[in-house]
Amino acid sequence: MSTMSGSNTTPRVIVVGGGLAGLAGTVRICESGLPVDLFSVVPVKRSHSVCAQGGINACNEVARQQGYSEYEHFDETVYGGDFLQHQPPVYEMTHWAPRVIDLLDRMGVPFNRTSEGQRDLRLFGGSLYKRTHFAGATTGQQLMYALDEQVRRYEAEGRVTKYEHWEFLRPIVDDQGVCKGVVAQDLRTMQIRAFRADAVVMATGGCGLVFGKSTNSVMCNGAAAARCYVHGAKYGNGEFIQVHPTAIPGADKLRLMSESARGEGGRVWVPAIKGGDGGWGPHPDAARDPRQIPESERYYFLEERYPKYGNIVPRDIATREIFNICMDGMGVMGGNMVYLDLTHLGREYLERKLLGIIEIYRKFVGEDPAEVPMRIFPGVHYSMGGLWTTYSAKDDLRGMVAGAPDSMTTNIPGLYAFGEVNYQYHGANRLGANALLSCIFDGLFCGLGVVNYVRDSAERRAADLPQSVFDGALKAEEALVQKLTAAQGSENPYLIGRELGDEMTAASTVVKSGPRLEKALARLDELRARYAKISLSDTGMWTNQNLSYARALGDMLALADVVLRGGLERKESRGAHYRTDYTERDDANFLKTTVAEHDASTGKSRITFEDVETGLVKPRARTYGKTESGAAGAKKPVGATA
Amino acid sequence: MPEKAEPAPKSVGFMQRHHFLLRRLHSLTGVMPIGVFLIVHLTTNSSIVWGILNGSRSVPGHAGAYTFQHEVNFIHSLPALLLIEIFGLWLPIAFHSILGVYYATTGKSNVAHYGYQDNWRYTLQRVSGYVGVLFIFYHVATLRWGWTFLVPGGTKWSAEYAASTMAMALRGGESITVWGIVVSLFYLLGASLLVFHFANGLWTAAITWGLTISKAAQRRWGYACAGLGAGMMVMAWSAVLGFLTLDPAEARAVEEAMLRGPGVEVVAPADAPTTTSAPTTPNDR
Amino acid sequence: MTTATTTNGAPHATSSSAKKSIRLRIKRCDGPGKPEQWQSFDVPLEPGLNIIACLQKIAANPVTVNGERTTPVVWDSGCLEEVCGACTMVVNGKVRQSCSFVIDESMAGQEITIEPMTKYPVVRDLSVDRSRLFRALERVKAWVPIDGTHHLGSGPLESPDDQATRYVLSTCMSCGCCLEACPQYQREDDPAKWDQSFVGAHALSQARLFNLHKTGAALKDQRLDALSDAGGVNDCGNAQNCVKVCPKEIPLTESIAAMGRAVTVHNIKKFFMGR
Repeated sequence: MSTMSGSNTTPRVIVVGGGLAGLAGTVRICESGLPVDLFSVVPVKRSHSVCAQGGINACNEVARQQGYSEYEHFDETVYGGDFLQHQPPVYEMTHWAPRVIDLLDRMGVPFNRTSEGQRDLRLFGGSLYKRTHFAGATTGQQLMYALDEQVRRYEAEGRVTKYEHWEFLRPIVDDQGVCKGVVAQDLRTMQIRAFRADAVVMATGGCGLVFGKSTNSVMCNGAAAARCYVHGAKYGNGEFIQVHPTAIPGADKLRLMSESARGEGGRVWVPAIKGGDGGWGPHPDAARDPRQIPESERYYFLEERYPKYGNIVPRDIATREIFNICMDGMGVMGGNMVYLDLTHLGREYLERKLLGIIEIYRKFVGEDPAEVPMRIFPGVHYSMGGLWTTYSAKDDLRGMVAGAPDSMTTNIPGLYAFGEVNYQYHGANRLGANALLSCIFDGLFCGLGVVNYVRDSAERRAADLPQSVFDGALKAEEALVQKLTAAQGSENPYLIGRELGDEMTAASTVVKSGPRLEKALARLDELRARYAKISLSDTGMWTNQNLSYARALGDMLALADVVLRGGLERKESRGAHYRTDYTERDDANFLKTTVAEHDASTGKSRITFEDVETGLVKPRARTYGKTESGAAGAKKPVGATA
Repeated sequence: MPEKAEPAPKSVGFMQRHHFLLRRLHSLTGVMPIGVFLIVHLTTNSSIVWGILNGSRSVPGHAGAYTFQHEVNFIHSLPALLLIEIFGLWLPIAFHSILGVYYATTGKSNVAHYGYQDNWRYTLQRVSGYVGVLFIFYHVATLRWGWTFLVPGGTKWSAEYAASTMAMALRGGESITVWGIVVSLFYLLGASLLVFHFANGLWTAAITWGLTISKAAQRRWGYACAGLGAGMMVMAWSAVLGFLTLDPAEARAVEEAMLRGPGVEVVAPADAPTTTSAPTTPNDR
Repeated sequence: MTTATTTNGAPHATSSSAKKSIRLRIKRCDGPGKPEQWQSFDVPLEPGLNIIACLQKIAANPVTVNGERTTPVVWDSGCLEEVCGACTMVVNGKVRQSCSFVIDESMAGQEITIEPMTKYPVVRDLSVDRSRLFRALERVKAWVPIDGTHHLGSGPLESPDDQATRYVLSTCMSCGCCLEACPQYQREDDPAKWDQSFVGAHALSQARLFNLHKTGAALKDQRLDALSDAGGVNDCGNAQNCVKVCPKEIPLTESIAAMGRAVTVHNIKKFFMGR
């Protein structure tokens, strides 16, 4: 068994995950001269970041000359996140955003252009200014390819070693509690190895699969984060799961229809009849061809209820409004669907600005959004919560200390978390087009922190530690595989996974309540008990996806516990977390981070709350200018301000 | 910055070292001289048919046979014909064929799964190359090198009796025989495939050299190549069918009259327009 | 939400589809060098079904039409919305992304054959090793040689037309369809030899993409040298299958012609003025 990937005293860094955050981190760390071992369960070019569609936010000159600034971006992000974020990292990120755009531009990202050749901008949720840069409707793909290319360049120079089709199994923590490597498994040969590293960066994204069907890719099961969590890393704000307002339901997943559809002028409506009191009611003939429904029988409920922001209210609000309108029986055909209408925008405009998502709808639904309004419904999309991380704030709280070795490190020294897998930046609700920014920012800004950390810890190189430090973790993972393949139970892991997803979606997405969450926790106990009695339908040791899934299921159950228990303990409504039994925000008790720690004896989570740094922007009511009823006069959608 | 083109490994062979040059010479020889020769050759040979329109001739009889013989005479009047043939024709053809067969073996047709028109042409380009090489070999061996044992009826082609011996070689003798028909079918097939090979090769050459880049340009050039190919196909079929249906005796009479040399009076058919001005027909070269 | 996501799969859902099913005939192989065999599975039709959803259902209950219990089929997938390139397979004889193969009611009772791609070594069942695709990108230096990540201002201005040209080229997700359908691209057992063989349409198109970028063009000569050599653009046989099977409708044949021109000019220049 070779564990000597760092066999001399040259320090090495391991990055786990090859999406935007992992690639950006790899580029930044490599650039400083440290070799990187990059682990990913899929070829990095196929990471989930490719699914991001709409764009990436940054203050720009056009917006700036209309009164926008990095500070506004910061304020919007905090307001959009319902003030749950630590503010210094958000401040730093939003002020870095223009540099991130410039860098990506230099890397060759084909951002859409104006006639003069400047980067084009579009409107996005939660802002009245055009501050979203985009490349068609596949911005995430384009940004990630640019970073993938830079990593390939380093790979060609021998400075990056990729371990694609390798699954991260656990961090290796030495007797001083410092992370010094990882255990990983080759998903083809099924070989399990311990790898030494002087720092480990987790950049493994979200956990959509815990909810069964989501907009996430099939590998976004949260297992890597959960494995850090069960081995001692804290998890923050787990209950904050973003449900995207506009997705197309499918048998295998929910396909995202980007917020850019609304940013570019798409309108959300349902067929409805306006009563004498000015209120709207279900349409008697809701199954009609939407093109035949007259304007007077279309209820543009977002525009009426939020005259200022209209269709571009933040996601949590749009999601709840769509969900509620369907619960009120006004959904299309009485079901859980509303129209997202692009037909008035014209085919040429749509194909130039939104081609990627137009094609997805055409291919998977078989209808042309340029002709027929799309039918959409909310779907689980993003995890605001994630591994708990720390940072060093500047004295005046305006940003983070550049190069600080603790930049986005978990409570385990040497173990970092970048991108969606950490809990920073987005608070209780992420604004559209801020995710790409936070991922790349983490990689670039905090990557330097990793470099400094590794240089500062020269007296204890991973390569010089005794083999025993690594053997224990390795043996434990080998034993787990032994146990799973030898299990003779009657339970089917895929069925448990499906039931877990259904239960999580039902109990802990758009609308939650104490009793429902408790019921879900009881259900989780049952699923956990059944999980102990699974058996595999494939016990071979060659490319065994059955084993990989079954192992991850255990981690998904651990994460589900974090999500449910956090939701239960947070007795308020904030951002994406909406409790029917506590409908108001409660800053006095819950303007705090939910911190979950794993209790190895029970397999459950322990929840505590921790103060949030809100020293820059004082929390204020978050209404987005909502009017009281649909009778309000302003009907015009907020169009292009800039 | 350590970013420089990796030098090709020392062990690579001649083909690899001169890859670009060989590939482009292969493409170039297909067009020039081979393709250009093919056009000239088909024009000459199809004169057995279009020569009937030839108004200026010095002997009576079959006008096609006359025109064809006139063309052959012109070619045979060229200085250093053998050198032209060897360096302008045989070596380029050998080069194009050998390399072509070598390149064709690097591909593997998959029209069974991907039956697109372009893919069929890709496959046919290679098949036509293989068959074309066989055909050219037969054609040259029997008619130029005098391998009469491969000719039904054993006719030896002669430059002085060009049309009549050609007709006999195709017919399998004075009159049409079964083997003659087989040979003629082989000629039709071989000539057709070579015309296709040239027209399609001209289309792909424009892509290879980067003359046609856009889809529209490729489509337009495709029409042009198809038009040229159709024209050449007509000439090829005219030639083969023209010789097949030519009465050797009638042709021989014309040839013998022409052999008697210049000075023979121009006798135009009664119904043909008298040509007094300088002729502009293609035989005037 | 449960009811929402499970009962509302597709707008045209009708209850009549409950009993109908679709048959998947899958070519299986336990690993490199192991024998191939076909197995068939029936999957009940439901709204919004695609091949991936079928494979997921088979994984949960791997029983063939003969009632024989087997191992779950191994396959690669990722985004399931045709932007990651993972789930390329040969479906009904043609290469494509399997996620976008949508199965509707009209296909009830039909059989769909699913095979792994043939131009890459099979890992297991439908999963193949496509690392050669990424090595080809290295071969054509498909990147912009930036100075580093420090803030050095923005990139070059670019006209909307140039952006449109580059954008479509840049949507290539290295799925491998163009190579699977290419009659000139073959599998080689010797990896070194394989990496020297025809680089493939995707890499030619990427070379064009980066030559079109102002900074990327710094490596233009090196890319064109690579494409002039054996395995470069000259090995293209113009069958033009690549452009027809490309799921992103990338104008691959235009890229090939553009590289043909670039290589022509490059070599003429090199002959008269070059090193």
